[in-house]
Amino acid sequence: MAWNLDIKGLIHPFSALAQGFKQPHTLSYPVEQRAEVTGYRGFHVNTISDCVGCGNCQDICMNEAIDMVEPLSPEAMNPKNASGLVPRIDYGRCCWCGLCVDVCGPDSLRLEGDCVYVSPDADSFLYMPKDK
Amino acid sequence: MSETIKIFHGPQHPGVTGNMSLELDLDGETIVKAVTHVGYLHRGFEKMIERRTVIQAFTIVCRICVPEPDPNEENFARGVEELYGLEVSERAQYIRVMILELARLQAHLLWLAGQGGSIGHEIVPQWAIGERDYILDLFEAITGGRVYHMYIYPGGVKRDLPEDLPERLLALLDTLASRLPEYDRIFFDNAAVKKRLQGVGVVDAAECVRNSYSGPVIRGCGIPRDVRKDAPYLVYDRLEFDIPTQSAGDAYARALVRRAEMHQSIRILRQVVEQLPDGPIQCKLPRHRQFKIPRGETYVQSESARGAFGYFMAGDGTPFLRRLQVRGPSIVHAFTLLERLLVGAQLSDVALIMNSLGICPPEIER
Repeated sequence: MAWNLDIKGLIHPFSALAQGFKQPHTLSYPVEQRAEVTGYRGFHVNTISDCVGCGNCQDICMNEAIDMVEPLSPEAMNPKNASGLVPRIDYGRCCWCGLCVDVCGPDSLRLEGDCVYVSPDADSFLYMPKDK
Repeated sequence: MSETIKIFHGPQHPGVTGNMSLELDLDGETIVKAVTHVGYLHRGFEKMIERRTVIQAFTIVCRICVPEPDPNEENFARGVEELYGLEVSERAQYIRVMILELARLQAHLLWLAGQGGSIGHEIVPQWAIGERDYILDLFEAITGGRVYHMYIYPGGVKRDLPEDLPERLLALLDTLASRLPEYDRIFFDNAAVKKRLQGVGVVDAAECVRNSYSGPVIRGCGIPRDVRKDAPYLVYDRLEFDIPTQSAGDAYARALVRRAEMHQSIRILRQVVEQLPDGPIQCKLPRHRQFKIPRGETYVQSESARGAFGYFMAGDGTPFLRRLQVRGPSIVHAFTLLERLLVGAQLSDVALIMNSLGICPPEIER
């Protein structure tokens, strides 16, 4: 293909140099932290005193990431919890779709903004939601 | 007779848009034969969906296409609504259009980054990915997720918009509209980019029609075919927008089509904010095991950033779909078109042509 002299096309790309005088898009982490987003689908929390142990969350989970287990602190459990069990999430399977939260009758199971978890113990990824 | 060598381009290659392999026979730098191999990314989505209730399945469909998951969610939701006979509120329909157009914008920015990277233009990928992140921030605020939104739900959408969303969206659209001329200066008007893209990967209009190409490929040949106009869905018939076309049919024409589509998406989003009605966002649904899809079949289609995206769905009176078939635009673009375009092309043009066609292997293999 023949090369036609394109003055505009040769000069215009140099306008990118003007970006050097602008502020960067990025944050200086960890000095600057990103603002938490309301409604972000992060880790689960479960208010044990409200949970009725119905297992709806376990039933709807399409990844079979939820199993119902005995709570870490049985004394905080809702007296109306008929099964005596609360959900535990396998974060190797969870896709954070939020269906378990949608079907939770007493709204005890929720997703919060926190989404960073580091542990050398692989078993700890069978995660017991914090009681909040 | 010259001797040819065979190389495998992919499946793990930065110049391949996803996990697929190209078997290339080279005579020097020139490709004399190209064969597409897929199968490295098969996750069996269609079969998985047949074994999950429709409410459970809606969380899977978005994963069929990473760069633009929302047309999948919308197609799936609309198919279920057609089979079950659900009425979607007007507000939910406008919100769906908002999500789809934001998805189109971010998909075009991702394409721009890929197209820039494929020709060694290192500035535009940095800019485009940065700009795309602002759109993902907005998705995060609306849906709770950045890439996979799992938001468009049979019967409506999962949650209402945040109160400050119209202001945030309009501010973002103003920013993007002011940035597009800067992209023109460094990329679309750039003499080196034109030299690289013009005359490469040329497709003619007759071939497009004969082989059912869609999206920027067919519009780059001068045919204004777009599902949003040809078979309007949601509230696209109430919105004013043009179908940009180019006549050259080469990679540069497809780039200009996408550039003009970004402008049209901004125009649509401004109208959506203006016309957004009040009302419910979700209709009442039965419990997921009682949500039985009546016996019947449907085919729904939407326009993604890469072309027409179709879903065939069949119900049989159970909470599970009897069959789901996904037909993405990449199927014809990756086999019929890519294999032909690569013959006679240079080895360095492979990534360029793949990006220009917008090939996405996950939707080929599902």
